[in-house]
Amino acid sequence: MASMTAQDFMNQVQQGSVILLDVNPPHAYSKAHPAGSYNFPFHRRQWGQEVKRALNGQNPPIGIFAENSVIAQSAKDSLEEAGITVPFVFDQGVKGWEQAGLPVARVHDLTVDELLQNLDNYIVVDVRESYELRSGIIPGAISIPMGQLQARMSELDKAKPHAIVCASGSRSASVAAWLSQQGFNVANVVGGMSLWIGARHPVQRT
Amino acid sequence: MIFVPMWDGSLGCASFLLGDEAQGQAMVVDPLGNLGADSYILGAAELGLEITAIVETHVHADHHSAARELSQKTGVPVSLSHRAPVAYDFNPLRQNDTIDLGHVKAVVWETPGHTPDSISLVVTDATRASEPWLILSGDSLFVGDVGRPDLADPTPEMVKAAALDQFHSIRDKILTLPDTCELYPAHYGASACGGLFLSSKPVSTIGYERRWNRFVQFTEPDEFVEQVLMLLKPPPESAAAIRAENLGVAAPV
Repeated sequence: MASMTAQDFMNQVQQGSVILLDVNPPHAYSKAHPAGSYNFPFHRRQWGQEVKRALNGQNPPIGIFAENSVIAQSAKDSLEEAGITVPFVFDQGVKGWEQAGLPVARVHDLTVDELLQNLDNYIVVDVRESYELRSGIIPGAISIPMGQLQARMSELDKAKPHAIVCASGSRSASVAAWLSQQGFNVANVVGGMSLWIGARHPVQRT
Repeated sequence: MIFVPMWDGSLGCASFLLGDEAQGQAMVVDPLGNLGADSYILGAAELGLEITAIVETHVHADHHSAARELSQKTGVPVSLSHRAPVAYDFNPLRQNDTIDLGHVKAVVWETPGHTPDSISLVVTDATRASEPWLILSGDSLFVGDVGRPDLADPTPEMVKAAALDQFHSIRDKILTLPDTCELYPAHYGASACGGLFLSSKPVSTIGYERRWNRFVQFTEPDEFVEQVLMLLKPPPESAAAIRAENLGVAAPV
């Protein structure tokens, strides 16, 4: 497949025939990312193989979105090594994406102090695994481990704001962005439980 | 805090990638040409960090800097002391300017001596304490030694003045830090920027150096200057050419 413009590729994303991967770190993705993209942060060890496993037997063409050419090229090489076709690479970051007139999605960031002050206004969703909950949860939070989220979407309410929390704020950033794509009103709790507990905010023992 | 020293043992150079895991922001200090700009970009990606600041503790004369290449590839400007005589656009830093990475902050201290544009970065992590946890001391205080004063301008009067600056930077600034503060200089081991007593160990604490660094024991400026000048090694052969390249100017003939 010849290289194509961002607009052409995004048309195919909308038709569902291709996938756009934002390979930036979760925090950067949460701050701003191409609307409709999925986050799969690039790292050096067997990254392409991990993407392949996550595709679960399907093999759609994958587009890459990165902040710079070094990451973009490394991610492309890694995918191609894993036998994935990469017809589209964008290495100009969010700035370039906006300059090209393409839509950007953002997830609202919430500090632990802001969350404490407005705790009654949010449904707090703790996406850590059950074995991580010994340190306590935010009072009133519901526990839905990241891997169970898709199956338990009915426990969420599109009419209400959600605050997504994990241990450090990385997983929650990915989850929040994904929920936002599904039409939920979500915010990511920056720093997660490490900062919540570090600030000596109240916890409920499970 | 995420803190990753990146060493080049062949030249005895240290560079650093440090960041705030909660905000996902990172700073690269003194990136080394020998390691290559890409290693910092990929290293940051590995740790889930976005590079938001690139800092040089001074214009180096002993090794090629990767700062400008890293800047071109990331779109992040290079930050240097406002006194740096470089020929390219940079973000000027002054005493007490803060590089804010979230809970992790680096405060700029001007510590001239090795060069007039030498700075140190005093780093705190607010999730631990407001007290400085470590200092990136550049070429001011080394482990067992101090940065040589003769590479920026080798004329004897200037070297003497620079050595005196070094005395005050170390005594009046760096040694005011608490003993528990860790010391990460820009050089160790075989580096051409140190002298006879430069340790092969790249890391120390303020407390250990306060007690055992021979140059810190001199309370009189003249004594310090005399000892530093007496123990100078010959300058590295290519110093002037490397410095010119890092300044972004043509090499002197």
